[in-house]
Amino acid sequence: MKSYLDLIPISARVHRRQNRMTLLCIIFAVFMVTTIFSMAEMGIRMERVRLLEKHGSLSVTELLDSSMGQTVIPVAVLLFLLILIAGVFMISGSMNSLVVQRTRFFGMMRCIGMSKRQILHFVRLEALNWCRTAVPAGLLLGILTTWGLCAVLRFLVGEEFSDIPLFGISMTGIVSGILVGVITVLLAANAPARRASRVSPIAAVSGNAEKGKRICHAVHTGSGRIETVLGVHHAVSAKKNLFLMTGSFALSIILFLSFSVIVEWVNYVMPQSAAAPDINITADGSNVIPYDLAEDIREMQGVKEVYGRRSSLDIPASMNEVGDFSGTVDLISYDDFDLRSLKKDGSLKRGSKLSKVYGDSHFALAASDEDSTWKIGDTVQIGEEMLTIAGLLKNDPFSSDGLTGGKLTLITSGETFVRLTGEKDYSLVMIQVTGNATDADVEAIQKAAGETYSFQDRRDERTTGTYMAFVFCVYVFLTIIALVSVLNIANSISMSVSARMKQYGAMRAVGMDGRQVTKMIAAEAFTYALLGCAAGCITGLWFNKLLYDILIAGRFAYAVWRFPAASLSVILLAALLAVAVAVYAPAKRIRNMVITEVMNEL
Amino acid sequence: MDLLEVRNISKTYGSGEAAVKALKNVSFSVPKGEYVAIVGESGSGKSTLLNMIGALDTPTSGKVVIDGRDIFTMNDRKLTVFRRRNIGFIFQAFNLIPELTVEQNIIFPVLLDYQKPDGKYLEELLAVLNLKDRRDHLPGQLSGGQQQRVAIGRALFTRPALILADEPTGNLDTQNTSEVITLLKETSRKYEQTIIMITHSRRVAQTADRVLQVSDGILTDFGRGQDVHEASALQKSGQKGEQE
Repeated sequence: MKSYLDLIPISARVHRRQNRMTLLCIIFAVFMVTTIFSMAEMGIRMERVRLLEKHGSLSVTELLDSSMGQTVIPVAVLLFLLILIAGVFMISGSMNSLVVQRTRFFGMMRCIGMSKRQILHFVRLEALNWCRTAVPAGLLLGILTTWGLCAVLRFLVGEEFSDIPLFGISMTGIVSGILVGVITVLLAANAPARRASRVSPIAAVSGNAEKGKRICHAVHTGSGRIETVLGVHHAVSAKKNLFLMTGSFALSIILFLSFSVIVEWVNYVMPQSAAAPDINITADGSNVIPYDLAEDIREMQGVKEVYGRRSSLDIPASMNEVGDFSGTVDLISYDDFDLRSLKKDGSLKRGSKLSKVYGDSHFALAASDEDSTWKIGDTVQIGEEMLTIAGLLKNDPFSSDGLTGGKLTLITSGETFVRLTGEKDYSLVMIQVTGNATDADVEAIQKAAGETYSFQDRRDERTTGTYMAFVFCVYVFLTIIALVSVLNIANSISMSVSARMKQYGAMRAVGMDGRQVTKMIAAEAFTYALLGCAAGCITGLWFNKLLYDILIAGRFAYAVWRFPAASLSVILLAALLAVAVAVYAPAKRIRNMVITEVMNEL
Repeated sequence: MDLLEVRNISKTYGSGEAAVKALKNVSFSVPKGEYVAIVGESGSGKSTLLNMIGALDTPTSGKVVIDGRDIFTMNDRKLTVFRRRNIGFIFQAFNLIPELTVEQNIIFPVLLDYQKPDGKYLEELLAVLNLKDRRDHLPGQLSGGQQQRVAIGRALFTRPALILADEPTGNLDTQNTSEVITLLKETSRKYEQTIIMITHSRRVAQTADRVLQVSDGILTDFGRGQDVHEASALQKSGQKGEQE
């Protein structure tokens, strides 16, 4: 040993188990940032290649002005900041617990002559020492993930991603990863380092971290069972620890709720309909495409589904109970496959009864939005016929902005439409082809359709692959966030327990049984969870709404923010799981340890 | 009738070449109401012995019978409840719960039993321990002697038959030491309790009814505390005479 700082790697080896979580937190932060920035750079490189091919030149402003730049950049910055804060919280939390656990060690160091400055220096360098392994690991993981994602995008998704670099190394990603690693660690180390430097040399003699601290508030033992009251008190009495633990819970929930908006965003940007056609045959708006043509195409090679629509616009109608009704309705017919797809796509509002619409019936579906006045059960008089609204669509699929603008559009089955209007031919015929359909098959269909109608081959516009890739990436991130949250929470509680080991030993000695110890730790953990979940839900929902407004509501007028019950349940369940894991491990450790061992732990 | 019976207790830590025999076939018994001091060098095995008697640790072999019950045949839960109700502990480092007041610390074992503390007895104890005006203080606001008195109160509150004290005066000055010992003796007489106390202090040991010595894991019964004191004083004066 040449310097007292040589103690750092030795101490790191000894405390490998306790350091594991801190290392994991740093790796997580570096990995997330490296991946996000690397993917962003790869996207920009790809876009650059695309623009160069298209225009022959490009400028940075052009890139940033593109719709992708406009939306993705502020969101990336917001998520980056969230990860940075989460990183600082997690690392700070676990370092804080490590310092509390080693109060005696720092006291001893002070006893044998280490100055406050040297302790500060020691803890900071110790933290940076973790970066030596954690930062390269995070970078490596980030780069490998980027390569993997690029490969998925290029080979599985193809088309618009076929220009994405395969084994690209992003300097932005690497530099930002390193910066995040070092900055979070230095920021996170600050408070624990100061705390360690304040440890009095007397702590070396008394040994218990709690003793050095002045406890100002007594427990109210009358408010419940003693173990529960003590557990809650342990959680709320150490304000800083409470803040960090609550923050860990809250940030996990905030991150999860924020990322989950992206899944919804993808749904809006790349709507995946079960009835998305590969081929469209359209007439100029009138119902002139022969019914028999559709039937003929159905029998052709490579055809999976054929379904058509008929329309009759501005039909005079009257409606019960709706005062500002315009007096005319648009009537559109959907074949059965098209109707079934509405349900599959989740396009119908709750309470809709699709089954009533099929066949020759007196029911119809109506397009709607948040402002439309008609509801399920309303009736519409068209000539002699009376139609009842059996269900509502969440938006108006026939308008460009998804809003009805007060116009009532009714969707009926083919049979009902024919009965009402007497028109059997279609205005639009849509075709889905099988996976192995060849270009020759499509040409044959085009030939059968003839030249009277407009023929659109939309096979290239399929976005299923991109959609799946995107959703997959977002879910991977969400899983990582949930997993790291579980681990971090479990570890933080475990460390908080370790810091009080001697006290638990004394309690066991004077008669606390294993079950009571478990209940005490559970009460502490649930207090963190409860406060953390409350803070996380309030802030997370706010972020969720904010991101929804930026990403979705701003672009899709009909989109209405809804309470993200499913995402919230998932992350709350993860938090509960974390608490269960967190309580189980240390409680078992204490129960299985001989009491004298528990008392001598520190 | 003997309250405590220790039969052939052995304790070995580690195994193979690293095995350390902390206690070697220790046997003795203590009648009800007796005040026993255990003396010995550091590392001789006296704390290990006390931990075995209090069921804080399990022996490698042997039996401990308290009030007719073989304590190591009980499961952990029963043992904990037995310990809570029948054994009072006093530690050198006090081991009070820092966030509980004096009063709460004293009634803590009863709270763990989900029982209502006996208010009258608490008042009586606080008076005996001279802690009445400190009842709402936290341990951090008390002197070492006061903290140890709280620990004694906690050990006495369930009216246990047996009190185990591991160097209860180790952290106290002479004045507090004599006060604590007097208090322990008085209360144990008053409530008919058996005390087994580890001490390094010859003066404390001489106040005991009987002194046991542990040396290298082997127990020797020295008999009455006062006799030990006199014998040692005689031995000392003899050596002095020879030198002169």
